[in-house]
Amino acid sequence: MSFLKRSPWIVHYDGASCNGCDIEVLACLTPRYDVERFGVVNTGNPKHADILLITGYINEQSQPVVKAIYEQMPEPRVVVAVGICATSGGIFRECYNTKGGVDSTIPVDVYVPGCAARPESIIDGVVKAIAVLEEKHLAMKKARAAS
Amino acid sequence: MGERTVIPFGPQHPVLPEPIHIDLVVEDEHVVEAIPSFGFIHRGLEKLVEKKDFHEFTYVAERVCGICSYIHGMGYCQAVETVMNIQIPPRAKWLRTFWCELSRAHSHLLWAGLLADAFGFENLFMQCWRIRETVLDVIEETTGGRVIFGSAKIGGVRRDVDNDTLKRCAVKIASAAAEFEELKKVFRDDYSVKQRLCGIGMLSRDDAWTLGAVGPTLRGSGVRTDTRLEGYAAYNELKIEPIVETACDSYARCMVRMHEVTQSFDLIQEIAARTPEGPVFEKPSGYPNGEYFARLEQPRGEVIYYVKGNGTKNLSRFRVRTPTFANIPPLLHMLQGCELADVGLIVLTIDPCISCAER
Amino acid sequence: MTRNFLAGFAYLLLAPVIGALLAGVDRRITARMQGRRGPPILQPVYDLLKLMHKESIGARRTGHFFVLGHLVFMMAAGFEFFFGGDLLIVIFAFALSSIFLVLGAYAAHSPFSHIGAERELLQMMAAEPILLLTAMGFYIANGSFRVEEISASPVPALLWLPGIFAALAFILTIKLRKSPFDLATSHHAHQEIVKGLTTEFSGLSLAIIEVTHWYETIMLLGIFYLFLAPYPAAAVLLVAVVYLLEILLDNTSARMKWQWAMKSSWTTASLLGAINLIVVYYWLGVQP
Repeated sequence: MSFLKRSPWIVHYDGASCNGCDIEVLACLTPRYDVERFGVVNTGNPKHADILLITGYINEQSQPVVKAIYEQMPEPRVVVAVGICATSGGIFRECYNTKGGVDSTIPVDVYVPGCAARPESIIDGVVKAIAVLEEKHLAMKKARAAS
Repeated sequence: MGERTVIPFGPQHPVLPEPIHIDLVVEDEHVVEAIPSFGFIHRGLEKLVEKKDFHEFTYVAERVCGICSYIHGMGYCQAVETVMNIQIPPRAKWLRTFWCELSRAHSHLLWAGLLADAFGFENLFMQCWRIRETVLDVIEETTGGRVIFGSAKIGGVRRDVDNDTLKRCAVKIASAAAEFEELKKVFRDDYSVKQRLCGIGMLSRDDAWTLGAVGPTLRGSGVRTDTRLEGYAAYNELKIEPIVETACDSYARCMVRMHEVTQSFDLIQEIAARTPEGPVFEKPSGYPNGEYFARLEQPRGEVIYYVKGNGTKNLSRFRVRTPTFANIPPLLHMLQGCELADVGLIVLTIDPCISCAER
Repeated sequence: MTRNFLAGFAYLLLAPVIGALLAGVDRRITARMQGRRGPPILQPVYDLLKLMHKESIGARRTGHFFVLGHLVFMMAAGFEFFFGGDLLIVIFAFALSSIFLVLGAYAAHSPFSHIGAERELLQMMAAEPILLLTAMGFYIANGSFRVEEISASPVPALLWLPGIFAALAFILTIKLRKSPFDLATSHHAHQEIVKGLTTEFSGLSLAIIEVTHWYETIMLLGIFYLFLAPYPAAAVLLVAVVYLLEILLDNTSARMKWQWAMKSSWTTASLLGAINLIVVYYWLGVQP
């Protein structure tokens, strides 16, 4: 049995969002929602994290940063796009400085809708991400056994 | 003299959830220079005004920043209303003021939590955000949203709030205010908090003024200023005394915001009791033609909206000068010569909203 | 002798288990103090097992070696202590273990872990004098550096060494990495140098650091036990109270800067520790 699903550590990055989703991500940690009940810890350090929460869409400047954070995370890792901007660009889709959603830069596993995404939906997204994490872990194991 | 090292601060950093990058040139733990770089969150939403209808743009304006979202939407509406010569109904004005003050209270509480987190007082962070949830409950009850309200509209407000709800909200806010007083004591008196805040990030009155600081950053340096005194919305009927501290350090800026939360809580209760009856929306006709600068007081300071209409459904120009944008030069001034351990804290004392600053 | 070996091996086997449970209880109590429900008691175990499944990324292999050294010397220090051996050897092995962690942090090319390592060294400088004073205190009170003999003494050491006890409780905060002394690295990575010392470790290395921390906690609490060794029940209670006070302090103070950490711990060491030592020295000197 894998313990990944009991201890998902997250790292959060604000792509180019309006902060609305970011403060909701932080609100998840606080007494009312308290995601630490599920073992979720906001590590703030990509090297310790299992789940990357990205809010906001990607622009020229933030693209290399997002890539760097993603590459620093040890396998298995999962990306959650929080909010409609991270999904598709949302209200800023038509802005001149947009590359599109997070999936324009790195592979995204879970999309969380909402503008701003509510803490409940963010927690739901993280729970879905844990399932994906488990799958990836099994795939990793299989690949290791095969080689 | 120690060896010089460059320590990157951001764009991904646990202390500040927003992406700003500062290269800190340090000698041992002494910051010699702070070199910022921006643009990680630039969206160019001001240009979106050419693509979106001027009514629709209210919702874009609200997403300049998700923390003071309502005030952005309302400031835009206020500017357009002035251009179009619309007098909004009094009840709408009072409701707008109500939400403005709720925004301020929630923003300051959020900030207080982040500051506590920056100096490693995790418990205080949790308590601040716990009280903030009560404020968010009131916001949710009256607008339906938690952080993005979506209730400003050109010509008034999108929905009315009945008087019973307002009264219920006032009771909730009163309970939050009582809890907040306890919390304020910790910020004011706790030994370790004072050790970390007093005398840190000095910004003298003259420096604050010449470098163009606004809002609590300026008031913490002893300048008596508050755009609410201009009397927009229902502020002309409310008595507002700007909160000024003269110590010029991080502690002073912290105390300004702490007292402002109390002030906001009082104002919210007063507004809930005094809001007049009447309609909340007046349908605007025609298209805006002309230009106007609207000035408002955001939780972070004075914000300026410029709108220019050309008689079509799209405005020809929209521009925001956000308070964080004005507070960045003072910030860089404060960072020079500080300790590395204080960097996160000093950055937070201007209450940075990078999303506002870069739009 | 067999009993000594048994105690030593029991430490090696049980310390991580008890340490993990203690960490779990700590997180739960902390959460309750903050108005949250908190994680399950076994959460630290889950975290550890997860870290062992994760990929370990590090630019240099030397980092892993140093982390292993950190663990081995910590285990050696703890083994020596519970074996009943020389307190001075315990303290030296303990210091060596910390040095290995610092070297590990320096092995990575990261400004965050470098600053963290510097701060860790400063914290060691702050803590080490008191640890040595403790050993000296026990020697003066019991005439021996051997833990075995100290614990066999009928008079509890607390009677002679209240000042040293208080000073040791003070630096326990440093060693447990709790506020106001979580400068080098903290349990919650919300500081200007991200996670400081442990920023660059991941996967298995981080798991080893975590386990070492549990060994460390148990050994340090063991020293506290020694102060009331003749009365086991009271000694366990004392340890529990000390740990609870640490949690309380963690939740009621901000993180201080290294200058303050140095100043306060050296003042405590000299005031409480040294004066206590001098008084006891003359007192016992007069009454042979």
